[in-house]
Amino acid sequence: MNSLGTYLFIAAALFVIGVFGLLQRRSLIGMLIAIELMLNGASLNFMAFNRFLGPDPVIGQVYTLFIMGFAAAETAIALSIIIALFRRIRSINIEQARELRG
Amino acid sequence: MNAAWIQDPNLLAAALSAGAPLAAFALIMLLTRPHPRLSAGISITAIAVSLAGALFLLARNGSMTAPIQVTGRWLVSGEIHIPFGFLLDPLSLLMLAIVATISFLVQVYSLGYMAGDPGFSRYYGCQSLFAWAMLTLSISPTMIQLYIFWELVGLASYLLIGFWYEKFSASEAGKKAFVMTRLGDIAFFLGLLIVLLQFGNLNILDMNGPEVAERLSPGLITLSAVLIFGGVVGKSAQFPLLTWLPDAMEGPTPVSALLHSATMVAAGVYMFARIFPFFSLSPEAMSLFLAIGTITMLLSSTMAMVTRDIKQVWAYSTISQLGFMVMGLAAGGYAAGVFHLTTHAGFKALLFLCSGVFIHHYETNDMFVIGRRGGRGLLIPMICMSLAAAALSGLPPLSGFFSKEAIMGVLADHPNPIWLAAGLLGAFLTAYYTFRLIFIILRPNAREAAHADGHSTHAGHHGAGLYGLMAAPLIVLAAVTLGLGFFETPLAAFLTRAATRAAGHHAWLLFVAVGLALAGTGLAWLEFGRRGAAQVGFVERVPALRALFAQRWYLDHLYRLLLDRVIYGLFSNLFTRNDRRVIDGAIDGLCKATVGGGRLLAFMQSGMLQYNLMVIFGVLAVVGLGFLFFG
Repeated sequence: MNSLGTYLFIAAALFVIGVFGLLQRRSLIGMLIAIELMLNGASLNFMAFNRFLGPDPVIGQVYTLFIMGFAAAETAIALSIIIALFRRIRSINIEQARELRG
Repeated sequence: MNAAWIQDPNLLAAALSAGAPLAAFALIMLLTRPHPRLSAGISITAIAVSLAGALFLLARNGSMTAPIQVTGRWLVSGEIHIPFGFLLDPLSLLMLAIVATISFLVQVYSLGYMAGDPGFSRYYGCQSLFAWAMLTLSISPTMIQLYIFWELVGLASYLLIGFWYEKFSASEAGKKAFVMTRLGDIAFFLGLLIVLLQFGNLNILDMNGPEVAERLSPGLITLSAVLIFGGVVGKSAQFPLLTWLPDAMEGPTPVSALLHSATMVAAGVYMFARIFPFFSLSPEAMSLFLAIGTITMLLSSTMAMVTRDIKQVWAYSTISQLGFMVMGLAAGGYAAGVFHLTTHAGFKALLFLCSGVFIHHYETNDMFVIGRRGGRGLLIPMICMSLAAAALSGLPPLSGFFSKEAIMGVLADHPNPIWLAAGLLGAFLTAYYTFRLIFIILRPNAREAAHADGHSTHAGHHGAGLYGLMAAPLIVLAAVTLGLGFFETPLAAFLTRAATRAAGHHAWLLFVAVGLALAGTGLAWLEFGRRGAAQVGFVERVPALRALFAQRWYLDHLYRLLLDRVIYGLFSNLFTRNDRRVIDGAIDGLCKATVGGGRLLAFMQSGMLQYNLMVIFGVLAVVGLGFLFFG
């Protein structure tokens, strides 16, 4: 159980679930959660490779911490955009936000 | 370089006389326009400086042996050098003196004529510009410089002819003068380009030198000579571009005097004389010029026989005398042509200035009206005008007699007698129409009262001071007209320097020419001057002929027709279509294509974010798989 393949499989599953969620959810909040899933999948990859292949155990963890920081910041910005959009169209359904249609 | 300018009195004088009017022009236009008296003072001072410089140069270099040329580099492009500077030789010195003298006298005269005009300062500014352009043209060492100042002369005359621009006819006349002379100038410039490209040099001394014949083929010389002569045709109002000059009478009379004697139209003949040796290289071109001069002279003489406008008569006579000069030059009489240019400048300026006094006093151009209102009462102008008229007709012992005889002598030496016959006919006609005018004013006819127009009151009660200002230049010019003829021999010697072939002297010709002039005068007396004369010319008895002459041989109608049919009907039309269809169409098409392309591409921007994302992921996945399996 304690092998690299297991972790990679879980990470890939997380990522694909995130992609599916991003493409499938019509709610902006749902899309945001899906993005978090994708980011976590990527983080898990970093950790796993670091654990099994990397000589220095610190680098992967530092990357992961950075990704978490970025994710927090990104979430804050995304939420503020979503709130602004909600004020404008009174909805957080992505299909309502079509003003950029050509 | 700087030291040389100040040390050499020749250069200093030349620079001063050419530069002073320019400074005056700048001063007047920039600073003193609100002060008419000051402007006039500046302008007259400047032209007086020019006159002093010109006379000084003439006196100092009276026996010069080689031309003085000073040039500074102005433009260098590859092999082509275009210098600016001065060329002082007998011809340019003589021209400088003529221009400065006439300009000075005309400006003094204008003090009286233009008094009280709202554009007084502008008038003097333009006069200074005119003087500067013409003086610098006279001493140009290269054809390029000459051409530049040639155009400036055209500009100045446009400004002055259209001086009373509120009057529609005046602005039209200015435009006509500008455009018609421009036609000739295009040919002139093309001719210069041919010489420049083939010969590599436009210095007047080089063009007059022997190398031209070695470097250019005879055909090219003829072509470029004819093209350059196009400039003369335009500027000197030769056939077929002669109709602008009579219209130019719309300007103030002193301007006409200046234009007709020493500056604008004389520039053409001066240019002919300037590169006379170059023109002489092509006998074919010279024959063409001779024909053009003859046609011009005869055509304009006939036009002068029927007009009632006093200035128009002198305008036509100017054209005819210019044609006469061109004939003289084209027949090989360099000194004769230039001499006639000199004497003509004197008496033609006198004629116009005298007419100006009449026009100013009676406020009409109609010679019959002037005569009936007692034109002969103005003694000084009347006497001076009669003198100048006699000089124009070539009666001895006035200056015109000598110069006309000189040209007749040259024509008599020409193998083809038809030119001499034409010249003599011209002399007869000249005497006839000149004295027609004089007799009409001298002997007013009561029957003419039927033609009276609205001006019945004497509007002109002008101060004696103004009259004096206008009369003084008349007297000076009359003295010149009287005396200049006797300087023929020294002038010819000065001009040609080396001993050239003396023009054949034909005693019989002298009698024939004077006899014809007298016959013309007599005919005029019979028809207009005699007590109880009908004052109807022999031409006017034939209505068709009269209409033909009065309409200027329908030349203007022809031009109008050409303009309407060819320029407007054909070229303008085609160009308009080109504009509308081709250019506008192309631009519109470009716009429509852009907009349509945008519309088409806009379908891809569906506004559905998740489809876009799906495409992105799909592409990324494919690329990633590609790297994984084939990378």
